[in-house]
Amino acid sequence: MIPKIKTGIAGLDELIGGGLPENTITLIYGPPKTGKSITCYQFLQQAVADDDFCLYIMTDYNLFQLEEKMMQFNWLIHDYFQKEMMYVLDVASGSIGATQKETHTLKTSSPQNPTEIISTVIDDLQYIYQKTQSFRSILDSTTTLFSFNSPILMIRVLKSYTMRMKVAGGTGIITYTQGVADSQIETMLKATVDNIIHLDGKKIEIEAMVGCDSVSADYKITDEGIKII
Amino acid sequence: MDLKKTYIPRLDDVLSGGVPKGTSILFQAMPGIISDVFGYQIISQRARLDREFGFIYTNTRTPAEIERLFDKYGWDLKTHLESGQLFFVDSISEMMGVPSIGKYIIDDLANSKDVLLHAIEEIAGGTAVIENVATLIDSIGADKTMELIEILNGAAMKNDVNIVYLFTRWDYEDWMVEQLKSLVNCEIELFGIEEKVMYRQVFMVVKSNWTTASKCKTFFELVEPGGIKVFIPKLLVTGPYNAGKTTFVHAIAEEAVSVERQAYELFPTTVGLDIGHVDYKGFSADVFGTPGQERFDLLLEPLARESIGTFIVIDSTKPSTFPRAKEMINMCRAEAIPKVIVANKYDLPDALTPDEIKKRMALWEDVPIIPASALNNKGVHQALDTLFDLIYRV
Repeated sequence: MIPKIKTGIAGLDELIGGGLPENTITLIYGPPKTGKSITCYQFLQQAVADDDFCLYIMTDYNLFQLEEKMMQFNWLIHDYFQKEMMYVLDVASGSIGATQKETHTLKTSSPQNPTEIISTVIDDLQYIYQKTQSFRSILDSTTTLFSFNSPILMIRVLKSYTMRMKVAGGTGIITYTQGVADSQIETMLKATVDNIIHLDGKKIEIEAMVGCDSVSADYKITDEGIKII
Repeated sequence: MDLKKTYIPRLDDVLSGGVPKGTSILFQAMPGIISDVFGYQIISQRARLDREFGFIYTNTRTPAEIERLFDKYGWDLKTHLESGQLFFVDSISEMMGVPSIGKYIIDDLANSKDVLLHAIEEIAGGTAVIENVATLIDSIGADKTMELIEILNGAAMKNDVNIVYLFTRWDYEDWMVEQLKSLVNCEIELFGIEEKVMYRQVFMVVKSNWTTASKCKTFFELVEPGGIKVFIPKLLVTGPYNAGKTTFVHAIAEEAVSVERQAYELFPTTVGLDIGHVDYKGFSADVFGTPGQERFDLLLEPLARESIGTFIVIDSTKPSTFPRAKEMINMCRAEAIPKVIVANKYDLPDALTPDEIKKRMALWEDVPIIPASALNNKGVHQALDTLFDLIYRV
């Protein structure tokens, strides 16, 4: 029996036998505004609840904005970040040329420089690996990375990223907005991950998951996050 | 031969002095290793020390980002940009939608050729840095990229320009990498030493047209300010009391010194450190042997943090000390670095076999166990080989 990592989404963990299989990478994809980022916040909130370390790569908001977004759901991550449980790689600020002071747990990079992104990830993994052999990782979202790089290059980068996460013991989710890249690239993207979850605004569909049949259920976005109904 | 320095420590020595005029150098980096710093260090030091001209072609970092990077490493770029001695060929700002500070701007990667040829003529006798070849391959295709590189190399040769290509090797097919390699005069690989996570970086000359590539591996780190610095790696030798660590250190490092005493102990035992140096198959490392008694455990952790590999020496005849050996493995976080168990004293009559040791120690993974007799210099080189194979299995 593969150990499971809870997603924190009410009803979803029951549906998939307890959570995401440990040490796998899950793609969350769907059209815009279907709750992909909220899934990430919820996954992070569950890391806070379970006292798991988390490596969080953000491409469209900075840490401060993430805190604000999560506050709307009453999920607080400030202390968790202060405790150095969370390693943030802010790729959003880099894209607009904003500079901020880098720390041990807060680093910046640029979306068009995948070599630097992976290098920073490896750096963070060194620290995380000294503390735990099981952690969570979130990449929200690959969409921005696809728009700044040649799609085929991005697929190579994501392969390298998922390999790094898995070797170090991580359980990760990555998000992608459907339709941004062409269908051939989408097929390749799906081939780089272990599990695939599709959101369409009404229905959540488990398209593929290690040790789990494909299932689907209706969901809605509430002020307590995503809920299966 | 007239050779020009790269100003990368150790690299000039390995290349017997530097690189000839008009040649091309490829830095091929494993994903996650920042190769562009190599290019920037060469161009910045040549501009400063040799008053050379040069340009940086970039398609991954904006010129503004590169300026910040130069600042971080303490290299002057501003003065050289202002004087026109150095300039950018900017192939990224347009795409990012930010204002460019490049002397030349490329709005479409497919149009790079003419601009680059012109830029090369302008810096005759100087240095061009091309970053990153990976982006070119995935944007204009491998064939067009190779064609471009061949043309640029021809122009560089004519104008005595050194071209430094920076290339992140994502999962490209071997033929692409081989073809790329065949186009340049010198190739340097950058890779990481890893065990689950990468923890050290190495450069190695794998090809050079003007000297025999020695394939010696140089550990490096990036220091701010300063740039690329050579790092002397450490090997750690640890294990329970009286397992033969000191004898082992002396067996692998001929001129090792030890701090020991005999006063209250039955055997002479190490109370300080065994320190030695090993040069083996193009690899150079300092060796540290730690004392086995628990009261010296506080030494383990800081030494382990600096180490690139660990030998855990155990006494094959004393299973009662195995739990202690395991404890020491945990203590020095040896799970994150390559390690080899040296089953010492295997030639004694009551020695356990590696299989029995493995069972008794209940190891959580496949750690190689090498039977050895440090005293008789047996199994010592197998242990070294095994550890180095683990370290360099890239």
